[in-house]
Amino acid sequence: MPSEAAPIREAKPNKLENLFSDDSSTDDTDSENDQLILPAASSRKRQKLAPKTQEAIKKIKETNDDNEFEDGELVAIPLDRPSDFIPDAVSHIFANSDFSYLKLKPDHSARPIWISPSDGKIYLESFSPLSEQAQDFLVTIAEPVSRPSFMHEYKITTHSLYAAVSVGLETDDIISVLNRLSKVPVAKSVIEFIKAATHSYGKVKLVLKHNRYFVESSSAEILRMLLKDDVIGKLRLQSVDEANGAADGLVETEAPKQGDLVIPGTKKNHENKNSKEKGTDTKNDSKNNEVVEGVEDIYADVIADAEDENADDTVHSFEVAAENVETVKKRCQEIDYPMLEEYDFRNDTRNPDLEIDLKPSTQIRPYQEKSLSKMFGNGRARSGIIVLPCGAGKTLVGITAACTIRKSIIVLCTSSVSVMQWRQQFLQWCTIQPENVAVFTSENKQMFRGESGLVVSTYSMVANTRNRSHDSQKVMDFLTSREWGFIILDEVHVVPAAMFRRVVTALATHAKLGLTATLVREDEKISDLNFLIGPKMYEANWMELSQKGHIAKVQCAEVWCPMTSEFYQEYLRESARKRMLLYIMNPTKFQACQFLIQYHESRGDKIIVFSDNVYALQEYALKLGKPFIFGSTPQQERMNILQNFQYNDRVSTIFLSKVGDTSIDLPEATCLIQISSHYGSRRQEAQRLGRILRAKRRNDEGFNAFFYSLVSKDTQEMYYSTKRQAFLVDQGYAFKIITHLHGMEELPNLAYASPKERRELLQEVLLKNEEAAGVEMGEDADNLIGHGVSRRLKSSSVKNQASMAGLAGGEDMAYVEYSRNKNKDLGVSHHPFFEKNYYRRRKR
Amino acid sequence: MARAIKGMLIECDPSIKSLVVRIDQDYRDIVIEELDDTHLLIDPSKLTFIKKELNRILADNAYNPFDDEDAQAAAVLG
Amino acid sequence: MSTPQPPGSSNSQGDDESVDFFKSTINEYLDNLPESVHQQLFQSRETCLAIFRLLPALSKFYIMAVLFNETSVPYSDLNRWVKSNKNSEFKGHQNPTKIYQNDSIKRLKALHILKEIKRQMIHPITKQPTVIIFVQLNEIFRQSFRDALTGFLPDSTQDQSKITLASSKDDQQEKTTSLDMMFDDDVDNSITVDYLDRYCLAKWENILHFMVGTEIKEIPSVGALTLLRFSGLMELPSDRERREALDGQVDEDIDYGYEDDNKKSIHTLKQLLITKTGFQFLLQDISSQIWTLLIQYLIMAEKLKMNPVDVLNFIFLLGSLELGQGYAISMLPQTQLIMLDDLQDYGLIYHQKDSSVFYPTRLATSLTSESSSFKTASAAMDQEISQPRADKSTNSGSIIIETNFKIYCYTSSPLQIAILNLFVHLRARFANLVTGVVTRESVRGALRNGITSTQIINYLETHAHNGMIELAEAEYNKKYEFESSIGNTTALEQLKLEILPPTVVDQIKLWQLEMDRVQAFKGYLYKDFNNDFEFEKLLSYGEDIGVIVWRDRTKRKFFVSQEGNSQLIDYANKIIRNSSGTPRANTPA
Repeated sequence: MPSEAAPIREAKPNKLENLFSDDSSTDDTDSENDQLILPAASSRKRQKLAPKTQEAIKKIKETNDDNEFEDGELVAIPLDRPSDFIPDAVSHIFANSDFSYLKLKPDHSARPIWISPSDGKIYLESFSPLSEQAQDFLVTIAEPVSRPSFMHEYKITTHSLYAAVSVGLETDDIISVLNRLSKVPVAKSVIEFIKAATHSYGKVKLVLKHNRYFVESSSAEILRMLLKDDVIGKLRLQSVDEANGAADGLVETEAPKQGDLVIPGTKKNHENKNSKEKGTDTKNDSKNNEVVEGVEDIYADVIADAEDENADDTVHSFEVAAENVETVKKRCQEIDYPMLEEYDFRNDTRNPDLEIDLKPSTQIRPYQEKSLSKMFGNGRARSGIIVLPCGAGKTLVGITAACTIRKSIIVLCTSSVSVMQWRQQFLQWCTIQPENVAVFTSENKQMFRGESGLVVSTYSMVANTRNRSHDSQKVMDFLTSREWGFIILDEVHVVPAAMFRRVVTALATHAKLGLTATLVREDEKISDLNFLIGPKMYEANWMELSQKGHIAKVQCAEVWCPMTSEFYQEYLRESARKRMLLYIMNPTKFQACQFLIQYHESRGDKIIVFSDNVYALQEYALKLGKPFIFGSTPQQERMNILQNFQYNDRVSTIFLSKVGDTSIDLPEATCLIQISSHYGSRRQEAQRLGRILRAKRRNDEGFNAFFYSLVSKDTQEMYYSTKRQAFLVDQGYAFKIITHLHGMEELPNLAYASPKERRELLQEVLLKNEEAAGVEMGEDADNLIGHGVSRRLKSSSVKNQASMAGLAGGEDMAYVEYSRNKNKDLGVSHHPFFEKNYYRRRKR
Repeated sequence: MARAIKGMLIECDPSIKSLVVRIDQDYRDIVIEELDDTHLLIDPSKLTFIKKELNRILADNAYNPFDDEDAQAAAVLG
Repeated sequence: MSTPQPPGSSNSQGDDESVDFFKSTINEYLDNLPESVHQQLFQSRETCLAIFRLLPALSKFYIMAVLFNETSVPYSDLNRWVKSNKNSEFKGHQNPTKIYQNDSIKRLKALHILKEIKRQMIHPITKQPTVIIFVQLNEIFRQSFRDALTGFLPDSTQDQSKITLASSKDDQQEKTTSLDMMFDDDVDNSITVDYLDRYCLAKWENILHFMVGTEIKEIPSVGALTLLRFSGLMELPSDRERREALDGQVDEDIDYGYEDDNKKSIHTLKQLLITKTGFQFLLQDISSQIWTLLIQYLIMAEKLKMNPVDVLNFIFLLGSLELGQGYAISMLPQTQLIMLDDLQDYGLIYHQKDSSVFYPTRLATSLTSESSSFKTASAAMDQEISQPRADKSTNSGSIIIETNFKIYCYTSSPLQIAILNLFVHLRARFANLVTGVVTRESVRGALRNGITSTQIINYLETHAHNGMIELAEAEYNKKYEFESSIGNTTALEQLKLEILPPTVVDQIKLWQLEMDRVQAFKGYLYKDFNNDFEFEKLLSYGEDIGVIVWRDRTKRKFFVSQEGNSQLIDYANKIIRNSSGTPRANTPA
C-alpha cells in the first residue's frame, strides 16, 4: 500500500512558475494528442459547471465545430517555437514574445482569441460574434486584466485555474475550449501549465461536519499521500470514528448528491415555492422569465447528467483539529493540492434551519444570478469571493446566498455604519423576523434568542482579543460556541490577513462568501484571500454593467492645477511629507475645487469632496462653508450631515475624509471631487468612484455622473494620480485631462486670488507640523483595522522619494475609522482641543 | 539712459520658473535676473543644460506602467 | 437639459499645427521649371506622354481638344467647353467647377503647354478694336505628343528617347507605340515579373527599414543614404546637434552642405537618424514616396551639374517601359548610365553587373500610372501582384487603440511593425497581430526623433480599425440625436467625430507640450530707465514694430528680440540726438 502512494516530491519539480519558459526542447509526445481530446470524450467524473459557463461552452462548441481540419492539419502544426523559426528584421523588438511562428488556423477570423505561449495572456476580440460566450468562459478560467471597448486581455494564472476547477471545470474542458476559441494553436507550454496547475486541483475538500473538520476526497490515494506529508500527517486527529474506517485510517462515506437546488429570486424558485410551500405569489416579469428559464434548462440537464455519473461514488476523509485547519490548508496549497470548501447545507440536519426567504417582490439581476450560480453550481455552497463594482448590488448577492443556505448567518463588515446598513437591507429584502437579527457593535451587544438567527458585526469586534468588556466576551463566547451555516465577509480587500485569520479561526462556519468591488491584481492579498476564503468565483465587467444601466455612467477627469511659484519653491525645499501638504494646499487647487463645486451646484448636482488629509479637509470645508465628516465626527453629527445632504436642497456639498471611501451609501451624489488621496492606491480610486455608481438618476437620459481628481502639476501627485487610475482605466474608464478650467479666474469671491492671501496661506501651511501632512490614522484600539500597516507607512515616508513610490501601492493600507466621539465642536477652525487631541493621538 | 543686458528670455509656468531658480542655486551662473512669475533672463549658453535638467527632474513625476509590472507578473503567476 | 460637459477643455495649444506635407510633388517641380527646360523636355515623346498622364482630367481634355487644331483658340472657348455649375448656391469665384477649370488652365500655362496670345481684333458688330486672348498649344509638345499617340517614328534621332528593347526574338511584335526596338540575346529568362517584384520590394523596404532603425543585414548604398540625408528625411547625429543648438532660432534652411559632405563614408552614414520629415515620408503611399525621393534626386542632380532634362527624360521613360522586359543599356547617354546605378539602389531598376541589359521594376513602370495610391509598399505589392487577399475582414494594417493606451495592430508587415516601434512600446507579436502600449516614454522617444504628436495621431487615425470608426459614428449619431431632441445648437455645432479615444489624443499632445516646458528668446533686457518718458517712448516704438517679447511697466523693464534690437537702438539714438543733441556714452550696445 505504501508503494501506491505518490510521493509528494513528485509534484514539486513541476513548479508552476517554471512552466512558462520558452523551452522548445520538451519532448513530450503525447501532449499534442491530449490537446485534441474533446471534453465530451472525457470519461472522468465531472463536477457541476455553473450553468452560464456550461452554456457558453456549449455554444462555442456548436458554433465553432471544426473537426474537418482540427484532426488533419493542426496536428502537424508545431506548438512551440520551431527550431527552424527564422526571426525577421523586427523580431528582436519582441524578445521572447514573437509568436508569429504560431500559424493561423484557416478560419482564424471566426475565432476570437490569441493565447500567448510565454505568459498565458489571452487577447480577446470583444467585437467577435463569439465574444459573449468567450467572455463567460474566460472570466471563469482567467483573470481579467483589462476590458475596454475592443480588445480584452485575460491572464491564465494558477489562482484563476484553481477558481475554474472549483466551479467544476475540468482540465480537458479548459484546454479544448481554449483551442476552439483560439486563432492560433494553443502552445504546448500553455497546455502544460494548465495541466500542471489543475491536475491536483479540486481533488481535496474541506468539510465541516458536526463542528469538526474533515479533509475529504473521492480518491483515498490522494488522502494517503497527504497523510504522508510531514506537515499534514502530524496534524491528523485520531478520532473515535477510526474504528469504522478502513485499515489505512480513512473514513469512507457516501458521496454527496445534489438535488434540484434553486437560487431564490429567480423564476424557478417561485415555481418551487408553489409546490413545496404555501404557494407564494409568482408574479414575474415575463421577459425575465425567458432568460432565466433558458439557463435553468441547461442547468437541469447538467445536474441530471452528473447524478448518473456520481451514483456509486464514495468519499474518504480524515479529521483535523480546528486550530490546525489553517496550517493544513496552507500546506495543501503549497503542495498544489488546494482544498476546496463546500457546504452541503441541504443535508445538514444538525444545524437548525433559519426562517429566511427573499420577499416575493425581490428580483435579482442577471449578473447577480450569474455570480450566485457559480457559488451554488453543484447544489452545495462553495466558499469563495464575488467581485462586483460598488453600487452593483453586492449586498443583495449576499442576502440571496443567505436565503439559499437558510442556516444561521454571520455578516462581518468594516464599520458600524455599514453594520446598520446590512441589517436594514436584510429586513428590506427578505422575510427574516427582526427578533432573529442581532447586531454586535461597541454600542449593541444583544444576541438573538431563537435557535438560529443572523448576526451583523464588524471585523474588529470579532477579531480583537484585548480589553474585551464582559458583555463583549459573553457575545464572543456565544459566537464561537456554535456552528454557523454561512459567513458573509464584506469588503474583504480592506481586512489585513492577520485579522482575517483570527476571524476565520474563531468562527466555525460552513460556507464563506467574500464580497468586494476591487480585487486589485498586483495585490499580494489575493493569495491570502484565496486560501482563507476561497477562489474568486466571479468578477463583473464594469463597462457592461454601465452600458446596461445597472451602474451610472461616469465622466472622469483629472484636473491639472499649476503650483504657484511660491508654493513650488517651498515644495522643492521641503521633505517628502511636507511636500504633500504643499501640493494639497496649492491655492490653484483650492480655486479649482471652489469653481467645480460652484459649477456643479448650479447644475443641481450633489457633490462629495474627498480628502484623505484631515487638515486640508477642514481648511477647505471651513473656507467654503461646507459641512464635513471625518473620523472624529460624532455619530450623531455624521447622521445629521448625511441626512441633510440627502434631503436638504441647501446642502449640496459635503466633505468626507477616507471614512467615506467605502460603505457610506449616498445615491443622491452625482459628482465627486477628490482633493487628496492615498498615494497610488488603485483600490481607493475605484472605491471612491463607487460612491456615485448607484446614483439615483443614473437612468435619466443623457445622465452622467462626474468624478474629478484634482492634482497639482509638476509634483509627485501627478505620478500617484496616473497610478491610481490604472485599475479603472483597465476597466474601460477614460480620464480626460483638464489643463485649464474656463472661467475659473472670473469666479466671484475666488479664494486666494491675491498674492497676499496666497502668501498668508503659504505661511500657515509652512507653520504646520509635518504630522499634519499625514493621512487619517486610527487611534481607538477597539475599532482599529490594520494599524500594523499604518506604522509601516509612517516609517517609510521620510525624504526618500523612491521608497514612497514603492509604497504607492500601499494596497493593504486599511481604511480606518474613529469611533470615539471626542470632538463635539467642529465648527471652529483649528479648535485647540482638536489640535491637541490629534497630535497626542498620533504620537502614541 | 537705460541699460541693455544681452541674454535669453525664458517664458514658462510659475513652477518651472521656481525649478530653474532652484537649478541655478545648485549650479550657479544660470539665471541673470528673475523677471516675474513666468519669466527669467538666463545665460543663453545654459539653455540646453536647463532643458536637460528639467526633463530629468520632472520625469520623477510621471508614472510608468511598466515600473511595477514585473512584480505584478511574479505575484500573479506565483 | 444639455449634455453635461466638464467645464474645462484640454489644453489644445499647438493643436492642428499643419503637418509638413511634402510640397515638392513632381507637378510642382515641373511647374517651376523654366520655359527653356520645358522646351527641351517636350522633345521626348515619353516625357510628353508622362506629363500628360500626370495632369488633371480637364487639362487633358483641353490638350486633346486643341491637339489637332493647328490654329489658336479663343480663351473664352475654353470656358464654353465646360458645362458650368448652374447651381445658384455657388456665387462667382466660389463655383467649384470654376476653380477646377482655372487650376487646369493654370497648370497648362505653368508647364508652357498652353500659351496665351493677345490679338487685336475688330469687333464684327461695333467695329471697335478689342483685345482678344487666344491660347495656343506648344508646338514641340504638339509634335511629340502626336507622335507618341500615333506611334509615328520620326527618322531623325535627335533625342535619346530611343531605347532598345532587349527581348527574345519571338517577342518582336510592337507593343509600345514609340519605342525603337532592338533585339538582344543577352536576356536572362530567369528574370520574371515575380522575381522583379520581390527584388524591388526588398530594395525599397530595405530603405524604409533603415529609416525606422530596424536592424538590417544590408545597409542601403552610400548613394541612397546620401540622398536620404540630402532630402532631410534623415540626419546625422551631428546634424541633429547643430539643429538643436539653433533650436527656436532658425527653423528652416539648414544647409546640409551637400557639396562638402558628399564624401561621407558608409560608416558615418550608417548613423543616420530619422527626422520629422522622414517620419511623415513613411506615412505616405508608395508612389508619393518614390516621387519625393526622385524630386530630391533631381535637385541633387542639378547641384552635381547633371542635365535635368536628361534626368527627367529618363525617369519619364521608365514610366513607359514594359514590366518584365529587358532593355539594352548600350544606347543610354552618360547621364542616364549614372542614373542607372542610382535608381538601382532604390529598386526602380534591376541591372546585373556587367550585363548589357536592365529591367525596370514595377516601382518604375507604375511611376506615371494614375491608379497608384497604396498605403505601404507591402500593400502596394499585395494589391498589384498577389491574388486578392483571402479575407479583407482581417483589416490588414488596421489599428485599435484603447482608452487604456494599449494598442493592437493587425499586421504581419515588418515595416509597419518597425514604424509602430517608433512610438509604441511593443509587447507581443502573433502571426497577424502585434500588441503594445503607447507610453510617455515611447512617445517621447518618437518626439525626440522629431516626430510630432500630430503625425502620430494622424497615423493612428488613418489606420483606425473599422470597429473604432463604427463606434465613433454610433456615438456621434447618438449624441446628435440627443442634442437635436433638446435643441442644444451649441452642442450640435461642437459635435465632432472622434475616431480615436479623445483622452489618448489629448495625452499624446500633452506629452509633446511637456517636452518643452520653456520657451526661449534671444535678445536684450532693457532696464534702469531714468524716467517714464524714455521708457514709454522706446517701449511703444518697440511694440509698434513688434519686437517686444516681454514688458513690465511698473519695474520699467522690457525685453527686445535679437532681430529687433538694432532698429530700437537706431531709434533710441535718434531720440537722444533730438532731445539732447549729443549721444550719450552708455548707449545700449
